[in-house]
Amino acid sequence: MKTLHPKSGLFESRAIGEMALASRIILYTLLLGWSAFVLFPIYWLIITSFKNAATVNQGPYFLPWIDFQPSMHAWYELFVSDYEDTLRAYINSIIISLSATALSVLIGSMAAYALSRVHYAPNLITILFFVFLVALTWVSISAFDVDWRVALAVGVALFFFLARGVGRLHQIHLHNGDILFWIISQRILAPIVVVVPIYMMFQSVRLLDTHMALILTYCVVNMPIVVWLMFDFFNTIPRDLEESAQLDGATMFGTFREIVLPLSRAGLAATTLLVMILSWNEYLFALFLSTTKAQTMPILVAAMNAGERGILWWTMSVAIIIMILPVVLLAVILQKYISKGLLVGAVKG
Amino acid sequence: MLKINVVRNLIKVSALIVAGGVVFPPLTASADGHYDGVVVNILTRPGPVIAGRIVDRAEEFKEMTGAEIRVAEAPFAELFQKILTDWATGTNSIDVGVFASGWGIELVGGDLVENLDPYLAKDDKIDLDDIAPYFRDFNQKVSGSTYFITLDGDFQMLYYRTDVLAANGLEPPRTWEEYLDVASKIHGQDMNGDGEADYGSCIFKKRNAQSYFAIQSVAASRVQSMGTSEGIYFHHESMKPKINNEAWDKSFELYKATGEYGPPDELNQDIGDTRGLVVGGRCGLAIDWGDIGPLSIEEGSMIKDKIGAVIMPGSTEVLDPETGELVACDANTCPHAIDGINYAPFAAFGGWTAAINKGSGDKAKQAAYDFLSYMNQAAQSNVDVTMGWTGYNPYRNSQLNDTAAWVDAGFSQEAAENYLGAIKESLNHPNMASDFRIPGAQQYTGVVLDRELARYLAGEITVEQALENIEEAWEEITDDFGREEQAELYRLSLGITN
Amino acid sequence: MNEWIDRNMGRVFLAPAVTLILVFSIFPLVASLLLSFTRVRLSGGGFKIRFVGWKNFEKQFFGSEQFHLIGTFTEISVLGWIVGLAFTAVLLGWIIKYIRSHFTWVGFIGRMITFAMALGLCWLFSATLLSGNPFGTVGVTLFYVFVGCGIQFLIGTSLAFACSQRIMGKNAFRVIFFVPMMITPIGVGYIFRMMADTTKGPFADVWQWVGLGEFAWATNPWAARIFIVVADSWQWIPFVFIMMLAAFESVPRDLTEAAELDCAGPWQKFREIIWPHVLPIAATVMLIRAIEAFKIVDLPNIMTSGGPGIATESVSLQAYYAWRSLDLGAASAIAYILLFVTVVTCASFFNLVIHSRIRKQR
Repeated sequence: MKTLHPKSGLFESRAIGEMALASRIILYTLLLGWSAFVLFPIYWLIITSFKNAATVNQGPYFLPWIDFQPSMHAWYELFVSDYEDTLRAYINSIIISLSATALSVLIGSMAAYALSRVHYAPNLITILFFVFLVALTWVSISAFDVDWRVALAVGVALFFFLARGVGRLHQIHLHNGDILFWIISQRILAPIVVVVPIYMMFQSVRLLDTHMALILTYCVVNMPIVVWLMFDFFNTIPRDLEESAQLDGATMFGTFREIVLPLSRAGLAATTLLVMILSWNEYLFALFLSTTKAQTMPILVAAMNAGERGILWWTMSVAIIIMILPVVLLAVILQKYISKGLLVGAVKG
Repeated sequence: MLKINVVRNLIKVSALIVAGGVVFPPLTASADGHYDGVVVNILTRPGPVIAGRIVDRAEEFKEMTGAEIRVAEAPFAELFQKILTDWATGTNSIDVGVFASGWGIELVGGDLVENLDPYLAKDDKIDLDDIAPYFRDFNQKVSGSTYFITLDGDFQMLYYRTDVLAANGLEPPRTWEEYLDVASKIHGQDMNGDGEADYGSCIFKKRNAQSYFAIQSVAASRVQSMGTSEGIYFHHESMKPKINNEAWDKSFELYKATGEYGPPDELNQDIGDTRGLVVGGRCGLAIDWGDIGPLSIEEGSMIKDKIGAVIMPGSTEVLDPETGELVACDANTCPHAIDGINYAPFAAFGGWTAAINKGSGDKAKQAAYDFLSYMNQAAQSNVDVTMGWTGYNPYRNSQLNDTAAWVDAGFSQEAAENYLGAIKESLNHPNMASDFRIPGAQQYTGVVLDRELARYLAGEITVEQALENIEEAWEEITDDFGREEQAELYRLSLGITN
Repeated sequence: MNEWIDRNMGRVFLAPAVTLILVFSIFPLVASLLLSFTRVRLSGGGFKIRFVGWKNFEKQFFGSEQFHLIGTFTEISVLGWIVGLAFTAVLLGWIIKYIRSHFTWVGFIGRMITFAMALGLCWLFSATLLSGNPFGTVGVTLFYVFVGCGIQFLIGTSLAFACSQRIMGKNAFRVIFFVPMMITPIGVGYIFRMMADTTKGPFADVWQWVGLGEFAWATNPWAARIFIVVADSWQWIPFVFIMMLAAFESVPRDLTEAAELDCAGPWQKFREIIWPHVLPIAATVMLIRAIEAFKIVDLPNIMTSGGPGIATESVSLQAYYAWRSLDLGAASAIAYILLFVTVVTCASFFNLVIHSRIRKQR
């Protein structure tokens, strides 16, 4: 079923492969130029991590040993004198972003697959009725001191008894597109206005300053992106394979795991990388939902702006550099899979 | 039903993930003091500055009493929000917040801060009389009761390069007009021997940074002449802003004018940037808090023993609050003037102070108070303020009378005397201008004043428009908070009790 | 049981995601919406909330914050009138054409909302920028979104296409091009602040050399805005790049081979085979990028703090500053205004571009 083409460029492109020398030179110049644009700030970051206050403040110095004497003091500070804080934040970041990414990609791609293959038509009225009941339950618990078990039971009962009746009142069906848009719209509101309510939610279940709080939050805030990207990647996969598998009696989950996921590896790898990076770098939620135990790396970076004491460029550079390293590693591993998206083309029925 | 199951499984899975994570070692507290097992959580800003010294002192304190002081850190920009959220939602995971005293008024207004009067009454070591009057009577207090413990005394001063001014035969400026004059004469000279032209004046002008403190420093000596209780922001009775007048008008213009003798991108420089320039020897004149002194003797500094400090420049004319015009200084209009010049050093930012969470446990509160008192006592703080890296500036008279500790720290005798003299003069000045200390302080100055100033500096609007906008916005904020309440609190913050 | 699961597999697949999002979104959304109609004070050891009706919004649109959010208005210049009226005519034509062709109420209401906002933004543009008046944070944000996303899409897609070809060292290029995204956004802000420093940054000497020693980008509104777009692009082009690369790589090879057998030229092959295949992903990528760009806050906050004046301040940053000064009501109101603008823009894009395509596919 799976035939792997010998590895080569994507389009067997005679046209580009045999481009005129001049245009090839132009292409490489552009690519190299862009690499320089990308890498120079990183280079500057690296040399800044070996500078001290004097060499930063007294004009630009470019070459270590030649125009300034590099010093390891910033590295020493983060890895020797403050190694406990650094290490803790590092481990926290790794645990949190890996778990959040795994969870988010799993749940999100399941939803995306369902949305790309199954047609949903929930009734808007039923949904509104549900939201209304949730609000009612919440208000009766918080404002009128109704026992939460009673309120919840009544709410659930009401929903089951009345949902069908209410739903028949009027039929406005939503479609997959509406669900998709609702999901992406969750990312639109600026995080600063939701961070305090979310803080209060975690406070009420006593999960503040735990990994759990951040894992769940990152999982949810990144899920819309997973759903959207994976929805598109799943859509590019031809359906005939799945249909034949289903005829053979495979379940939906079986088809999903055995056929769809392997075929969408390129998209899956790119999405995983993206979500990983977004959770790895997130700042505001991390700041509020953690105090000491669950503090992550971005907070360490922000901490190097010492307010009226100025910015500690050198230690900040070190913190940024050590934050990039694991992601580079991950990118190197995953980018192989991104090329292997080639498989998609190899499986026409 | 299904949904509930899914959620439960999810939580299980995630819990497993978490459990597989780091397990933090249990606490080991063993000391013979009376606070065995008591834990005090302090939140402050990160890094060696401010926090570093608290950590050191916490270890000593643990050995003495057995109380465990844990220092948590949050980035400067969001520090206050974090404390506020923790206390106001009743999470109470933080027992002590260390922040700028001006921010704390909001918390006291929300009844979130422990009143320290009963603790002070029982404390015989803190020696309140030694604390400089402004900090003791204004900065630590709200409505007559003490709520904060000072760890660091903050106000701005004028720094000048002794060598550069001497070489040009100039005296340190006493008024802002003289400041411009001196800056213009030395601008463009090479001040650190690297062959490049340097700047006459460095004053941070970045938006949303510290420029709103600088403008108040410039304006204070024009607006306030009758002593600290006059205040620089409002009329006491009506709460009408004292902003749209000639004094502020002139101050805005002067502040902008200093930019002509500054670095080209001064508009985007915050205090960290200008401090770097000053220590690198690139500025002839500069406005800063007390930190330049200790910084000047640090390694890599180009200005060791070349920097002098004086009280903030003053003015020969002051505001007549009735007419909004400037009038010349005489014995009536400027009772505190020296040689016809009215000075009003501005207590910008108020310094890093500690407040105790009212919602914490009694034992933790007492232990927290004892620890803060320990930090504040002369025996400890007189050492801490001489060290540049701590970020602590002097606020006790005993810290200023004795130059020995400063000379030990690396100052020359002359530099120490000069630096301490300037601080002493400012600190004990009867006309010291108080920072904004009523609810909404951040909105009044940090947002409105700062933004309109930035727009004026950027040339978006004229100074008249800027002042009009500020007046309108201030009135709006006052009405919002309730005019009567604000007027009452404003009077209290200036020590007017009737 | 198994049978039941199998029958409801579609729901089982969707339920976890929907439940999690619901749990995390209902309370915060409602809470912040309520906050936007209130003033919040601290008192008695907690929050005291006072309802003020539309006051927070009124202040932003018509009151003392008008210049800040939408801009300063004097009178509309001739150019402003011409562009404004021309654009209004185009919009009217579009809506009339819709009414004449296939009318449904839902579609009509949706288009009217799009129409109203497009019209509002068009006249905002005419009355501020084209009439020489400074515009507020909404204008700045739109500049970041449209100019920034446009640049990022063009460069990111070209790089992705180049890297999907058979070129030397393409694996190295792939990783290099991706690096900027790995840096935490705060870090990017600080890095570019170093880059842009004209006294001690790496280009300080270049500035002097080209005679711009006295020119500071940070004091010129447009220079500052452009600089922020450059930093933003530096950071986000990798996102477009990696997604479009995955898209180009997932073009079925047999399709391109078939095209080659038909002797299609490279341009024709790109336009007829590759482009239609990656277009859905391109649209999604741009939608996600635009949503993030509407929320831009770290870069202007760190690089310029919104200065000079308010020239680089985004709506999100305005909300952040309000929030930092404890004005939670204003912060929520501003965030909801942004939410409205973003939702309408994205929903229009989604419904008029993506959705119609999905319908076509079915």
